[in-house]
Amino acid sequence: MMPLERAALVAMWTITALVVLTLLTPLVVTLIVSVSASSVFNLPPPALSVRWYERTLRLRDLWPAVRLSVALALLSTAISLVLGTLCAIALTRASFPGKTTLTTFMVSPLMMPGLVVGVALLSMLRELGLRDAWTSLLIGHVVITLPYVTRTVLASLTLFDFTLIEAARTLGHSPPRALVEVMVPVLAPAFLTSGLFAFLASLDNYPISIFLVDARNKTLPTLMLQYLEENPDPTIAAISSGLIVLTIVVLLVADRLVGLRRLAEF
Amino acid sequence: MSVAPVAVTAVSPRQPRVERIAWLALPGAAYLVVAFAVPLVLLLLTSVTRDGRLSLAGYAQFLADPFSWMVIQNTIRVAALTTVVCLLAGYPAAFALARAGGALQGMLLAALILPLSVGVVVKAFAWTILLRTDGLVNRMLVGTGVVDTPLRLLFTESGLVFGAANIFLPFMVLPIFAVVKLIDPRLTEAAATLGAGPLRRFVRVTLPLTMPGVIAGVAFVFSMSISMYVIPTLLMGDRFKTLSILVARSFLFMRDRSLGSTVSVVLLTIAVGVVVLSALLARRWQPER
Amino acid sequence: MAGLLTADHGRVTLDGADITRVPAHKRNVGVVFQSYALFPHLTVAENVAFGLQAHGTRASEIAGTVARVLALVRLADYGPRSIFALSGGQQQRIAVARALAVKPKLLLLDEPLSALDRKLRETMRMELGHLLRDLGITAIFVTHDQDEALVMSDRIAVMNHGRIEQFDTPAAIYAHPATPFVLDFVGMSTRLSGTVVAADGDVLVVDTAAGRVRARGRAGTGAAVLVAVRPENMRIGAGGENAVSLKVRDRVFLGSKLLVHFDAPGADQIVAEVPPDGAEHTAPGDLVTVRWSVDATLVYSAP
Repeated sequence: MMPLERAALVAMWTITALVVLTLLTPLVVTLIVSVSASSVFNLPPPALSVRWYERTLRLRDLWPAVRLSVALALLSTAISLVLGTLCAIALTRASFPGKTTLTTFMVSPLMMPGLVVGVALLSMLRELGLRDAWTSLLIGHVVITLPYVTRTVLASLTLFDFTLIEAARTLGHSPPRALVEVMVPVLAPAFLTSGLFAFLASLDNYPISIFLVDARNKTLPTLMLQYLEENPDPTIAAISSGLIVLTIVVLLVADRLVGLRRLAEF
Repeated sequence: MSVAPVAVTAVSPRQPRVERIAWLALPGAAYLVVAFAVPLVLLLLTSVTRDGRLSLAGYAQFLADPFSWMVIQNTIRVAALTTVVCLLAGYPAAFALARAGGALQGMLLAALILPLSVGVVVKAFAWTILLRTDGLVNRMLVGTGVVDTPLRLLFTESGLVFGAANIFLPFMVLPIFAVVKLIDPRLTEAAATLGAGPLRRFVRVTLPLTMPGVIAGVAFVFSMSISMYVIPTLLMGDRFKTLSILVARSFLFMRDRSLGSTVSVVLLTIAVGVVVLSALLARRWQPER
Repeated sequence: MAGLLTADHGRVTLDGADITRVPAHKRNVGVVFQSYALFPHLTVAENVAFGLQAHGTRASEIAGTVARVLALVRLADYGPRSIFALSGGQQQRIAVARALAVKPKLLLLDEPLSALDRKLRETMRMELGHLLRDLGITAIFVTHDQDEALVMSDRIAVMNHGRIEQFDTPAAIYAHPATPFVLDFVGMSTRLSGTVVAADGDVLVVDTAAGRVRARGRAGTGAAVLVAVRPENMRIGAGGENAVSLKVRDRVFLGSKLLVHFDAPGADQIVAEVPPDGAEHTAPGDLVTVRWSVDATLVYSAP
C-alpha cells in the first residue's frame, strides 16, 4: 500500500474515533451529572447521590407532561403509519402527473423550519376557532411524523417485487388477502423503523409544540426547556438520563427485531 | 375434434385500475395540504397584508434594517459553518463505517443512532455542561497542551457550531454511508488497472459516486441548522440572534405578529431554496438509470 | 497478475521485469472484468478516455485515440451515450475498448463472455480473438467454457485447485491430456480402470473389466492404472490392436455423428463415436466388438 493511502486510512480512522467520542460523551456526561451530589454541574462529581432522581418524582408537572408526550407520539405515529403507507403504495404503483412533486411534498415537512410551521398552524387553528391544545398538538405532530413514515415505506416499497402478490393470487388468495399475506411481512421492518423514528421525532419535538402548548398541556421538551431557563439544576440531568436509558432499551428491542443496519436506513 | 370458438374483442387499456390506486394517496396528501401547506400560505398572506391591504411594507421595513441583515448573516454563517464541520468529520466517518466489519460496524452504528434518538433538548443541555470553562472540553484542551488557558466556549459562535455539528452528525454520516455501501469495489480496481493512482481513483471515481449521499446529507444538515432554535438558545443565550430565535421572540414575547410573519417567510424562503437546490443537484449527480 | 491482490510468496515477472511489488496502476496490465466495471457516472467516451487521462495524455490526442478505439470495437458513434443505454454485448465491447486504449503490455480477461447469451457469445469469441491478434496483444483469458478455450487460445493452462495441470496447445491438450483431470475437462472419453499385468518395453498390458487392453506407457506390474481413449478413435468391428466385446446400452443421435454407450461396471465409462451409417448391429442389448489402436490409448496412474 502506498504511503498516501496509508496516511489517508490513518486519518479516516482517527477522525472516526473522535467522532464516536464526541457523539457519546454528552450522553455519558449527562448520566454522571445526574448522580452528582453537587447542584452545580461539576465534573468529576464530588460525591454521588440520587437526590435529583428523587426530585423528579416530586415534580408536579413532569408526569402529566410525560404522559402527554407519549400519548401524542403513539397516536400521531399510528395515524401516520396508516396515511403514510397508503400514500407510499399510491406513489409506487400508480403513475400520474406530478408524482415526483407529490413525493417531494410529502417529505418536505422534514426540511422546513419547525418554528414557522408551528406558528403558521397556530394562527390557522386560532382563526378556525380551535382552542383545544391537545387536538392542536395532535394535528401538529402528525405533520411531523407523516414524512418519516412516507419516506421509509416508500423506499421499502420501491424495492418490493409486486409479482409476489400476483403469485399469491394464482395460488388461491383473494386480492386483499394476497396483499396482506405478502406485503405486510416484507414491510414490517419498514413500519418498525419508520414508526420508531416517527415516535422519537414526535417525543422530541420542540419548535412546533412550543406554539401549540398551553398552561395545562405541556409536552416534555417544552417543560424541560422551561426548567432549564427557570432553575437549571441537575434535575434536568436526571430527567435526561431517564430518557437516555429509555432510548437505549427501545433501540435494543428494535435491534433485536429489525437489526441496527435496517434502522440506519430511516 | 371441434375447437371452441374464441371471440377476440379489443380490450380497453387498464388505466382506470391504475388511477384507483392513485387515490390511496389522497388522505395523506390532503392532510398535509390542510395542516401544513395551507397554514404556510396563510402565513405568507399575513406577511403581505397590512391594514387589510396587499402590501410589501413589512418586507421593505425588515430588509431595510441593518439589524435584519445581521440576523440573516448570523443564521446563514452558523448554518454554513456547521454544515462544513459536519461534512469534514462525517465524510471520513461514513467511509470508516462502510469498511468496518460486522461487530465494529454494529458498534459504530449504535454510536450514531443512539444520539440521534435521544432528544435535542437532552443533547443541547449536555453540551452546555461540556463547554463550560471548567467543562470536559476545556479540560482536555488545556490538558493536552493545545491551549494554555481555558477557552470561553459557551455563548460563543465556535461553541455553538461545534455543539450543533455534533448533534447533526448522524444526519450527515448515514446518507453518505448509505451511498458508499453501494459503490462497486470493482470500479476502483478497474481504475487502478487503467493507470490511476490512489488520489486519482478517489477524486475521479469514489468522490463523484458519493455525491448523491453528500448532497442529501448537506441538505439535511443545512436545513436543520438554519431552523434550529433549542441549540442556539441553550448554547448562545439571548445575545445571539438567528432568524429562528427572532421568529420565536416575535410571537412569544414581543407579540409582534407582522414582524414574526415576515421573518418566518424569509426563513421559509431560504429553507425552500435549499430543498429545491438539493433536488436539482441530486438529479445532476444521480447516474441516469 | 494485475496487482489487485498482493502475493504472499513467489514472483510475477513481465517482459523480464519483476513486477511482484509494483502497484496495479504502474504495471500497465489491463483488465476486462466479468461484470465489466464500467464507470456509471461517465459516458462511453469518458470511460474509454479514463486510462488515457490517467497516463497524462494530451487532451487533443485523447479524442483521436478514443475515436479510433471505439471504431475498433465497432461502436464508433456511441461516445456521448450513457453506459446504461448499452446492451450487454455493447458494454462488454466498451470494457475491452477501455482497456485497450492505454495499449497494455498484457490484457487479462476475467470470463468476459459469461454474461452474454449463447449466440452473442459465439460471435464475440471470434471478434475478440481477431481483435487481439490484429493488435498483437498478449492476453490471458479465464473461462469455464472449454469450447471457448479451445477456439480462442494459442495455449491453454488447465487449472485444478489452484495448480496448473497442463500448459499446452489446444491440440496437445485434447490429444495428449497430461492427467485424468485434464482428460475429463476437455472433451469426452472412454475410461477403464485396471491393473498392469505385464510390461513389454514401453507397452503395458492392462487387465480391465472390459478385457485385456494394451497402452504405451511405463508402470510396474500390479500397478493400478486408468486407461482412456477418445470416442472418435474407437471403431465397431474386429481386427484392431485393442479389441473388446461389449454390450450396447444406449445410442445417442447427434446429427453428424452417433454416440454409442456401452455397459461398463462402476466408475468406468465406455463410449464410441461413429458416423451414423456405420452403426449396424448397435441396437441396445447387442453384443459388438469395439477396436482401437495402441497409439490412441492413454494411460495414467489410478487417481
